[in-house]
Amino acid sequence: MPSPTSSWVASAQAVFTKDWRCELRSRYALNAIALFAVTTLVVTSAALGPAGTNKSLAINVLPAMLWLILLFAAAAGLPRAFVHEEESHTAIALRLAAPPSALFVGKLAFGVSLLLAIEALVAPLYLAVMSLEVASPGLLVIALLGGGYGLAAGSVLIAALASQARGRSTLFSVLAFPVLMPLLLLAIELTRNAVAGDAAGPALPQLLLYDGSVTIAGLMLFPAVWNP
Amino acid sequence: MTRTISLGLRALLWLVMSTCIWGAFFYAWSDPAFVGQSSRILFFHVPMAWTSFVAYFAAAVWSARYLWGGRQMRHDRAAAAAVECGVLFGVLATVTGSLWARIEWGAYWNWDPRQTSIVVVLLFYGAYLALRSAMADREIRARISSVYALIALVVTPFFYFIVPRITESLHPEPVLNKEAKLDVDPRMFQVLIASALTYSILFFWIHNLRARTQALADAREDEPS
Repeated sequence: MPSPTSSWVASAQAVFTKDWRCELRSRYALNAIALFAVTTLVVTSAALGPAGTNKSLAINVLPAMLWLILLFAAAAGLPRAFVHEEESHTAIALRLAAPPSALFVGKLAFGVSLLLAIEALVAPLYLAVMSLEVASPGLLVIALLGGGYGLAAGSVLIAALASQARGRSTLFSVLAFPVLMPLLLLAIELTRNAVAGDAAGPALPQLLLYDGSVTIAGLMLFPAVWNP
Repeated sequence: MTRTISLGLRALLWLVMSTCIWGAFFYAWSDPAFVGQSSRILFFHVPMAWTSFVAYFAAAVWSARYLWGGRQMRHDRAAAAAVECGVLFGVLATVTGSLWARIEWGAYWNWDPRQTSIVVVLLFYGAYLALRSAMADREIRARISSVYALIALVVTPFFYFIVPRITESLHPEPVLNKEAKLDVDPRMFQVLIASALTYSILFFWIHNLRARTQALADAREDEPS
């Protein structure tokens, strides 16, 4: 007889594995996010040229553009985490198979890993096409990890809400953007500090606090979203 | 009996409200060296902003009571009514604030941190109302929108730290500032506190009416036709 903790972990892990397996079969979210990110990146690059060589643009504009690309890429793919469970009528089976908190953690791990994979593709490409030189690359990696986590966590939580309503995809943007706005402002500030070579400043602890708060809020509120 | 009490309370609210408005124009003192007569908008702007935050907080409390207090529809109706009132007072605070900004700063809108924050908060609760209208089933709507109101309570405090770093503020210091010391004329302070309390009571009155009409509308929908 497995202990409750180990069966909880096993459920979360099973949800995570199932989501990646489905994803690798259809590649829906992966293709949508990656193509969306690359398309916007090409448009930005074509419009601005190698803007990184201009110091003021590099610090004031480019970090914000990077996070806007990531935000819209996340909005293009992550809502599917819950929408496809409703569309394929697998939500009921999932309710029986896993406790809500384990399900949330599994979905969260899937969303975070998906978004971090996209970041690993987009961020180096962005730096290259924009000729953007980063003074402290370590801080940029921290900003991408912390910001990516918060972006995915907020999106997964809102996706769970939006999947219950009509007009899911439009509603997702309306619901998610106010929630994600503090995170984006903090991530942009950190990225800017990384490009300029400044210290992390108060933005780093605040970003981590945001990530923690959203995770705890998700764990507390998700059972109410999921269980009738 | 209850009718008489209710009538008496409403008459009292009317009297206190009138006194506050009278006080704002004739009792409180305005510093001619600072901003002069335009500062009197303060007695409307500050209580409205304050009341909108009371309303949002009340909405979160009712949402939590709905989720963890036996899932009673009256709590959900109360939360929704509070958000509606909060948006109303928030819009009024924004409008009165930007009128004052036109006089003192020269432009209706200039993305002062306070203006940025209030717009984001209004977007948040606008999204709450959009979310409600996208769900037909009453139980689901109550559950999902309660969760969203609580997420708002977790996320909005971050703006308090972040937004002031982005731009310098021209907004006057809050009356109850960081050092918790009073920096205003006592008469001004009296009118301000009285108005804040009165507007909060006004909010609870409007809120009560709104929640009750919604209860009637729901009951009517449930009647077999």
